[in-house]
Amino acid sequence: MSNNLNFADVQGNILRGYGKQYVRHLVLTVANASAARRWLSEATSGDESAAPQITNAEPWTERRRTCVNVGITRDGLAAFGVPAASLNSFPHEFVAGMAARNTLLGDTGPSDPSKWKEEWKGDGVHLMISVYADDAQDRTATADRILAARGAFHLRAALDGDGFPGGVVHFGYRDSISQPQFYGVHDPDRRRDDQPFVEIGAMLLGHATPIENLRWEVPKPNVLGYNGCFNAFRVLEQQVVEFEAFLSECADALIKNPLSEVVLPPGEEAKWDPPMSRHAALREVVAAKMLGRWRNGVPLALSPITPSPQPAITDAGLNNYGYSSDPDGQRCPIGSHMRRSNPRDAKTVQRNTNHARRLVRRGIPYGPQYDPAHPVKAERGLLGSFMCASLTGQFEAIQYDWTNLGLQDPRITGSNDPILGNNDPLFSRFSFPVGDGMVKFRGFPHFVHTKGGAYLFQPSMSAIRHLATLSGGGTVNRR
Amino acid sequence: MVKGFFRSIWTFLQHLLERILIAFWRRAAPIKVAEPGYSTVLADNLQMHMNLVMPLADQTAVGRARAAQAIAANIDELFTGLNNVGTVHFARFDLIGGNLCMYSVFDGDFRAYIRDFICVFGSVFDSLLGLVADPPPSPSALNPEAFIDWIHRHDSFQIPRDLTSLFPEEKNLENLSRDLVLLLDEKPNVQLGRFSGYPGVSVAQIRHGAGLGW
Ligand code: HEM
Repeated sequence: MSNNLNFADVQGNILRGYGKQYVRHLVLTVANASAARRWLSEATSGDESAAPQITNAEPWTERRRTCVNVGITRDGLAAFGVPAASLNSFPHEFVAGMAARNTLLGDTGPSDPSKWKEEWKGDGVHLMISVYADDAQDRTATADRILAARGAFHLRAALDGDGFPGGVVHFGYRDSISQPQFYGVHDPDRRRDDQPFVEIGAMLLGHATPIENLRWEVPKPNVLGYNGCFNAFRVLEQQVVEFEAFLSECADALIKNPLSEVVLPPGEEAKWDPPMSRHAALREVVAAKMLGRWRNGVPLALSPITPSPQPAITDAGLNNYGYSSDPDGQRCPIGSHMRRSNPRDAKTVQRNTNHARRLVRRGIPYGPQYDPAHPVKAERGLLGSFMCASLTGQFEAIQYDWTNLGLQDPRITGSNDPILGNNDPLFSRFSFPVGDGMVKFRGFPHFVHTKGGAYLFQPSMSAIRHLATLSGGGTVNRR
Repeated sequence: MVKGFFRSIWTFLQHLLERILIAFWRRAAPIKVAEPGYSTVLADNLQMHMNLVMPLADQTAVGRARAAQAIAANIDELFTGLNNVGTVHFARFDLIGGNLCMYSVFDGDFRAYIRDFICVFGSVFDSLLGLVADPPPSPSALNPEAFIDWIHRHDSFQIPRDLTSLFPEEKNLENLSRDLVLLLDEKPNVQLGRFSGYPGVSVAQIRHGAGLGW
């Protein structure tokens, strides 16, 4: 399906990832509106010597060493001079901001916005400029050039994400395997999975969406809203030590449970690559059941009892599965993080939502990688961008309806995502069927705490040029 | 007769005084009302209520009869659509005074409910809304956010059990009645309370438990 998309008009980190190891997110306040607008103009001028250029989505002829993208909050748009009528044409959740949506998102208790890092508090979070690079020096050099922009911005924080080898994130899972593939962007002859291709209107405003006939409204004026995308940026602190301790507790319990012989036939662990003790292997079983993939990325749906199936699953095959042949979650639990976040072809309560809530995920870990041989407590987590054309229709719908509430299947309703959820040890439960029995774990805490974040709008390149022509702004004219 | 005349003068004066008092209160001490939000207790986010009150453009018997006919003509599509939304416990269509009303009990987020509703039977609803005064932009599928905002504005305000939680900035409990008057002056239709015989359970859980399929 052709969609006549002008790739040069779309920011480059939305429809495809850059595959860069190093990211620096600059969280900024507009210090001087004219200087900030001048920076926008220079950063879209095509003249790299004037300012690092904002990367668009045109296919590359050669690999770029660094890429730059921009997301702007509602207050940031006001600071650039966007008038109130135009601001109010943005969706209400974007106008309200992420912190105001905290109960719905599950950001309560340790994740409550009052406990967020200082840079995310108050009205001064205006924009985030993200620098992606293949090496740390290039990242610093580009970020420093941006910050040198003649008094345009005040730096609230520079958040560094350093990718780990093998695309692994904290908790030890390989990430960034499943992403939506778009009509007119990805090649249908080289599709990686059987999930339906997605209309670009799932990401970009002004285009057909995966929901028949439905189009999200484009904020006014059209030049500002068209080809824009929303980005729910989250700083998600991960309690790695507690998570690993929980896996050990579960393995202690499971090893005494006769069902463990069904979920992992005795001796199977010796055939794994590398072979493991029974206890260590059962820890891996629990980790896989909580996510939906073994920690090396092999999906339970394709390989339920071993992370090292023979013949091996190629990288391209890691995403080629659904859940319709596993209606009860015998292989991949209905309550696992992945099956909650994208039920693929599984039966769901909200019958028209299966492929309608796709998200592009761009995440990178921060903090030191956890070494089980030297378990050191440190701040670690994920700098996660969750991109979509409608924050309520996609990001919040996943986070609230599916992750936090489990509405999509009556067998998990009222339980929270075991990895991500705002779990309270008094009520938390995670269970998965094994034959006719059920393995149940209770009393686990909240392994991921939100430490900050913002709802950002990633304008098109024309919109950025439009912002550069405005006047006024500067002060925060919050509602 | 004379008594009746004096009574209506008295009632008129009483209402006039009330209006003056309300206007004075609104200026002297405007209220800040807490919008009902989401609960941190997961089960409290099931069985949510929507009480949609939509004034008809033509509120005469003829206009009301037209609305009754339009609902009757579309009832099968509406019910199939509600079934397909998947999260709806009950839904009713009523004519109350000059209003077309839709009352429903659903699970989860209000906006997600209305969005699913647009996807499943938005076009039927669009035709019904032709009968309503001040309808939302049509078709709903091309104006989903505006449609959802419109539905939200026509959904009766839900008064929580604890009246004090309505006015987070009110320090003096003695002012509660005054605050309530100001609130009801702003919002003519409100829901005063709700009861559930099976709290904290979703419609799919009930169907599943009763062997009805979900
Ligand atoms: C620290 C927090 C998180 C961690 C550690 C995490 C981890 C993972 C991992 C390891 C995968 C599997 C890798 C892959 O298939 O690409 C995954 C998939 C996914 N996650 Fe998360 N995630 C986190 C937060 C979130 C959030 C906040 C959301 C959205 C609300 C989300 C939505 C998804 C989705 C949609 C998938 C893909 C499922 C599929 O397509 O089958 N994740 N996550």
